[in-house]
Parts: sequence; C-alpha cells; structure tokens
Amino acid sequence: MNANDAPANARASDGYFLRAENITKVYSDGTVALREATLEIHPREIVGLLGENGAGKTTLTKILSGLLPPTSGRVTSPKGVVRFQSPREALDFGIGMVHQHFALVGTFTATENVALSHERPFARIRLDQARERLDSLMKESGLHVPLDVPVEKLAVGEQQRVEILKVLSRNVQLLILDEPTSVLTPLEVDELFLLLRRLRDAGTSIILITHKLKEVQSVTDRIVVLRHGELVGDVKTSTATTERLAQLMVGRAVEGESTAVELSAEQLPRAGARSKIGSSGERILHVADLVAKGNTGDVAVDRLSFDVHAGEIFGIAGVEGNGQSELVECLTGLRRAVSGIATIKGTDILGKDPREIYRLGVAHIPEDRWRLGLVLPFTLAENAILGVHRWKEFRGPFSFLRWGRINRHVRELMDRFEIQATGPNAPAKSLSGGNQQKLIVGRELAKNPAIVVASQPTRGLDIGAAKYIRDLLVEMRNNGRAILLVSADLDEVLALVDRLAIMYEGRFMTECAPTDLNRQQIGMLMGGVERKEVV
Amino acid sequence: MSEQAGPTQSRLLRGVHRTVTGLHPALESMLAALIGLLVGAALMYMWGFNPWRAYWALLRGAYGGSYEWASTLARATPLILTALTFSVCVRAGMFNIGAEGQMFMGAMAAICVALFKMPPGIHLIVGLLFALIAGAAWSIVPAVLKITRGVSEVISTIMFNWIARWLALYIAIFILVDPSRAEKTLTIPVSARFPILVRGTDFSYSFFLAVFAALVLYFVLWHTTMGYEVRAAGLNPTAARYGGIRNKRTMIVSFLLGGITAGLAGATVVMGMPPSYAAFGGGAFPELTNIGFDGMAVAMVGRNHPIGIIVASVLFGGLNAGGRVMQFYGSNPVPLEMVRIVMGAIVLAMSIPELIRLFPAIKSQGERLVAALRRHGRPASKEGSA
Repeated sequence: MNANDAPANARASDGYFLRAENITKVYSDGTVALREATLEIHPREIVGLLGENGAGKTTLTKILSGLLPPTSGRVTSPKGVVRFQSPREALDFGIGMVHQHFALVGTFTATENVALSHERPFARIRLDQARERLDSLMKESGLHVPLDVPVEKLAVGEQQRVEILKVLSRNVQLLILDEPTSVLTPLEVDELFLLLRRLRDAGTSIILITHKLKEVQSVTDRIVVLRHGELVGDVKTSTATTERLAQLMVGRAVEGESTAVELSAEQLPRAGARSKIGSSGERILHVADLVAKGNTGDVAVDRLSFDVHAGEIFGIAGVEGNGQSELVECLTGLRRAVSGIATIKGTDILGKDPREIYRLGVAHIPEDRWRLGLVLPFTLAENAILGVHRWKEFRGPFSFLRWGRINRHVRELMDRFEIQATGPNAPAKSLSGGNQQKLIVGRELAKNPAIVVASQPTRGLDIGAAKYIRDLLVEMRNNGRAILLVSADLDEVLALVDRLAIMYEGRFMTECAPTDLNRQQIGMLMGGVERKEVV
Repeated sequence: MSEQAGPTQSRLLRGVHRTVTGLHPALESMLAALIGLLVGAALMYMWGFNPWRAYWALLRGAYGGSYEWASTLARATPLILTALTFSVCVRAGMFNIGAEGQMFMGAMAAICVALFKMPPGIHLIVGLLFALIAGAAWSIVPAVLKITRGVSEVISTIMFNWIARWLALYIAIFILVDPSRAEKTLTIPVSARFPILVRGTDFSYSFFLAVFAALVLYFVLWHTTMGYEVRAAGLNPTAARYGGIRNKRTMIVSFLLGGITAGLAGATVVMGMPPSYAAFGGGAFPELTNIGFDGMAVAMVGRNHPIGIIVASVLFGGLNAGGRVMQFYGSNPVPLEMVRIVMGAIVLAMSIPELIRLFPAIKSQGERLVAALRRHGRPASKEGSA
C-alpha cells in the first residue's frame, strides 16, 4: 500500500461490518488478479472502488460476495471469519451484489425474478407478496420497472433496475454495485445516487465499482483505488483530488484536470473544428415519420424524422429504454418498422435484412457485444468476418473461405486496432471486454462504410479503450463518413457530436448543436420536459 | 470432520476436478469409452463371465486381422453417415433425431433401382441419387414445420421415424416385394451394388463413400461460407442474424445435408451388402434397424466433428463386429446384448465431464439443503412433508 495515502479508517473504533485481510487471488490460468489486498468496510458508508478494467475490482467484490474463494487471505466480520460457499449464503449474511452482466431469468417477469431470489428449498413462491414488496420498494426508492413483462423484453437500463430491486428486496447490509452507471443516463444516475445516500443513511454499506472519477467523487465517502491487482490507495473522498485519483488509478501522471474525466482534452480541439464541416455533406441516412413497436407491443419509436450527413456525427442522447434500441434495430434490419421511410443514399432500407443493408455501406456497432456483436465460442478470425464473410475478398470459388486472406486480414485488424490476443485462432471469449469491443469496432470500420451506426460503443470499457474507440469514430467522421452515435454517456455525446438529438419516449425532444444547451437543460429534456419550458 | 484431512482432501478433489474438466474433448471421449468397457466388465464379472476372455475375444473379433477389420469397417460405414446427420444439425443448433427414419426412406428408395435395368456404375449412382433425395425429402418436412409453424424438430423427427419405419415395412411387403420370397424385398442387381472389397465379408467400397462424405462435410462446415453460417447460427442465432445470416436458410441447409447423409446410410446398407442380400421385411429389417440411433451415439463420442466421427465409428463398428465373436467364444460365451450394454455405458459416460463440471454446484446445493434442514429443524421438516 502506498504510504502517502494513509487509510481513512479513522472510524475503526466504530466497529466494522466486513474486513478483507491480505486477499490474494490467482486464477487457474495463472493470472494474479489480486495481491495482498486489505480492505475494511464500515456501516453507513459508501466506498468507491476505483480502477481500470482488469485492476481487480470485480475479483475483490466477487470474493466479498462469496462468488469466488480467495487463493489466500480471509474475510472477517466482528463475529469471526466468514466463508461463503455461494452468493446466497452471502445474501443471507447481508451482502448483495449487482453485476455488470445481469443474473436474470429472461423469460420471467421482474416480479418472478425477485420472487425467485427469495426461494428456499421446499418453500412456496409467493408472487403476491413479492409484488407488494416490490411496489413499496419502488415507491420508496424511485426506481421504476414494468413488473409484468418478461425481463428479456426490457431495455438494458431497465433490467439493471430489476437487478438492483432484487438485491434491495433482501434487506442487504452491504450492497455491491459493479459499474452501475454505465447503462444509466445522468438523470437516472442522480436518482441512483440519491437512493444510495438514502440507503447509507439508513445504515447500509455500499461498494460502488466504477472507473468514472466524477461519479466516485460525487457520491462516495471513501475511495479505494486498485491498480493491477494491488490496493494502491485508500483515501477519504473529501481530501481526494481528481488529479490524485487519476494518478493512482492509471499509475502515471496525467496532465490537465480534464484528462482525468471521460472528456479527453485532445478531443476538444476537434470539437472546435467541426463547425467547418457542419452538415453540408451529402445526405447519407434519411429517416421520415418512422414508427416502430417495442417488444411489449407499445410504440417505441414515434414518428421520428432526421437526416445524417457525410462528415458529421449525429448523436442521440437519452435515458435508455426510450426507443433508441428499437430505432437502431430498424435501421440495421433487425426489427421491422411499422411505418415511415428510411433510406440510405436514396435506397429504401425498411423491410430489408441486415445483409442487404450492409451492402449499402452500413456498419453497425451493436449495444450488446455478447449477444449480438460476437459469436463467443468462435475464434478471432471467425468473428472478424461475421457479416463480411460473403465478400469476394474472403470467398473463393465454390464459396470456399480463403482462410489465408482472412488470417492476414485479422492480423492487420489486430495491428491497426490494437487488439491484444494470442492470434487469429484465439477464441473470442478469451479476450477482455475492451479487446472484444475493439474487435467489433475494427471489423465494422474495416468495411469502409458510408455510415457507422454505433450504439453504446464504449459501454463498460476502461478509459483507455473508450478513448481509443471515440478517437476512431472522430477519425471516421473526419474522413467524411456519416456517424450515428447512440449513447447514454452524456460526456461522450457532448464531446463527440456535431448535432445532438435528445430522445424521450420515442420522440426527439430537441435537435440542436451540442453547445446550444447546458447540462442541466439536457438533463431536463432527457427527463421529458418540453424544450420551450427549458429555455 | 477432521481439521487436518480437510484441506488436503479438498485440494486433491479440486485437483481431480480441474484435471477432468480441463480435458481435451478427444481425451474425454477416450475416457468415456474406457469407463463404458469397465462397466461392461463389472457386469460380466457379476454374472459369472470372464471379462478378460470376453474382451480378448471382442478385441480379436473386431481388430484381430484383415477379415475382422473388414467386418468392423463394414459396420462402421452406415454409422459414419447417420452420425454426420446428427452432428451437422447439432452444429446448426438443432437436435435431429430423425436419422433413423431418413435412413429407412433412403434404403427403400435405393431398392427401387431393382425395378429397372441400367449399365453398371450408372445404376449404382442412380440408386444413390434416389436414396439421398428420399432422405433429404424426409428430413425437409420437419425443417419446414419448424420454420413455418415453430414445431420442435425433436418431436417431429421422432414422429417421422415411426412413420418411416411402418411405411418402409408397407413398401417392403406390398410394393418392392420379391415375388418368389414374400418375406424379402427385391434383390438389387449387381450392376447397382458397391463392389465387395474383402471377399467373404460385407466390406464394400461404400466405406469410402462414407469417409468421403465425412471429409466433404468437414470442408463444408469449416471451409465454406455456407458451413460458416450454419455454425454461427448454431452457436449464437442472434449474432448470426446481426451478421446478415438467414437463420431459416441455415436450418434448411443443415437438415438437407443431414437428410442426404442419412439417405446414403440406408443405401450403403442395401447396396453395400453381398449380392444375395435383400432387405428382410419379414424380420423387420435387422440390418437397418437402429443404425440411425447408434449414429447419434457415434456423433456424441466423435464430438460432432466429422473426423472424430470416423474414429468413433471404428470403435462402435468394432463393438458390433467383435460382439458376434464374443458370443461364440470359449465354454461360457457372453451374450451379444453385453455389447449393447457397453455402448449404452459409453454414451452415459460421455456426460461425466459435464456432470463433474456441475459437481461443485451440486455439492454446495446439497450442503445448503442439509444446513437449512438442520437450522430450522421442525419447520423445515413440516414444510417438506406438506
């Protein structure tokens, strides 16, 4: 531990809820995920666990919540050593975790999922009780989800709310949230933080895993920084500066305060240059009066009209679940629109399947890289040609795949897009999240597209990978491509886009330049307040 | 519980666990075959047979010489083809249980060539075409039902197996019947038969057809865009759709490929046997029955890989061929059924690695159940009895 950062456990005399002592975790493949980490959790505090992807945040919390056994070290509570064999035992002890990738039964409703988590052997499931409890919990916490729709039909943001409700309904004393804000928009984040503070005041301890500095500073009481499996800092939030945290986290001095936040300083000059390009380019995507239904059958996209031109990034911001996913699916051939017009360079795309749409020069970076973007058991090479496998470049006579060319292509992708992998034959599931996303982005951008439809392209990635992908999008824009960016990360949208639309309940609240509005106004528009009331 | 033994014991167990779950698929299959043979040995021992002598007889009967190898490979031939049927559909994400029925239809279609004369060679090829068209036609119906009506292919193919079986019996008795011998079908003329490779055995050139089919399917699956699409749709249908792959098409393609190989399997039996052979409707087709189902076992042991299937079919063909010898060997011969027990045990043993992968979960579930019951003594038992 760094001696400069004296542990902020000043309240050790208050007693603690949980203490992890000298935890080391070595995975079976030899990866050392944690080295001698010691951490104390007190009642009534929000601890931010900060670190880049792969720093060991998730491993540490999985050990605390009983999902993984430590290789050495122990977890103690005032009552003695605790050892959890399963997450349920941890839950019984009062530790609940909300994972980045949700543990929900897709075909069950929110109520059923919550009831399931309460299930005991030979006990009856009481849906009515679960429902009552959920209703009161939703009222109390301000988190709202549809209770009678199978969760697989909910948007990712809504699914996360179900997960949080599921854990909260167990009256946990320690709530662990793994990157909870990566799928939420500012308004929702504020609501979540309000809820977290309320829970803390009621006596709950909270661990918030994140790599967003702003968030960790705004809500936590104490910040623990992990770097490459080592606990390098344990500081009170009130005494921590953004620069110091960023330095602890990335392990190198970062110059300029804005670098520490998602908004990278290098992107700002480009933002200034973009007015020159403007929307004067050729119109690539034209959408008029587009109507589409969501999985639940209600109108998700409500008579949307917009254009995207060559050489601009058109950004759609908004709370997730307001029709963005359905819009993207319509434009990429994955969902049938009800009515309206959508054309790419004048060619109608509604009712066409993805292959025909790609042929018009569309690249699609999907929001869910595990479900849509990759075939995880496939190798890197096999994934790298998904969607372009019929191209002449890769297909010889008799439809034979030209593996020689494909492997060469993959090596080029790995070089150009900095994909860390053992080789073209490494299975895609063995790659880290950032490298998986780089693989998808690389594959799509290598199509040499006229328009890139990017949906949540940096979700869940560490700062380095996210910045890299944003830079790529900007570069594509500067090369005269049209880019449709759908993102719940407001910083990202504001930093990148030339024109901004804010989507709420299937409609655009406004369409303007990102500089026309301040963050507060944007937040209000996202929450459904009309434009004229805002300005 | 002793404090001392605990950690070492659990470490040992964990080590075994990691070893078994981390095995290469081919090693898993070998382990399963070994366990199946051990189970067979234990049963033989319990019933007073000498397992060593029996297995020695089986081994010699299966792989002891050129005649034995010929018998083994002759039995492996149709199994390769029906195993391909199952595996190509598994690769596409579906369970095609219908190889048996498709194989029966292929066999009946092949016998149809006995109705007309043609030059040698061409006659054979026409028979194979008949068989593969019949097999494909029989498999296309469940595929279309699945695509248009959402009918589970597992149910529909099983039903189609029964239809095919009784339809084949009807055809054998009323249409393709040999006028002079009512219990048999027409005999396929030599001009439409695979030449026998080893005289005095059933081993014919049809074996090379089966191996060729396996190689073709290997190339189709791993070296063509069509196979790529089939495998992508099988592993992640959503991502496949995103990748511009038409999942309905991959379903049809995999069922067609499967139907073709199953139909050919039927043809290799009726056209690959010695010239006097004719399908024996009166005895409910002893040579044909179960080839489709055994093919599924071969596919499992062969890990649904065409090359693995060829290897696994040599094992299963050897069990079938050697089993015949085993039942004549020595003073206390082992009945043929023992071979089927060994096959069953191998198939069951194939699931052991998967079971062991589940073992930690099962163990913790059990422990939690015991703990819960102990903790709430009475109320828990009350609930349990209610």
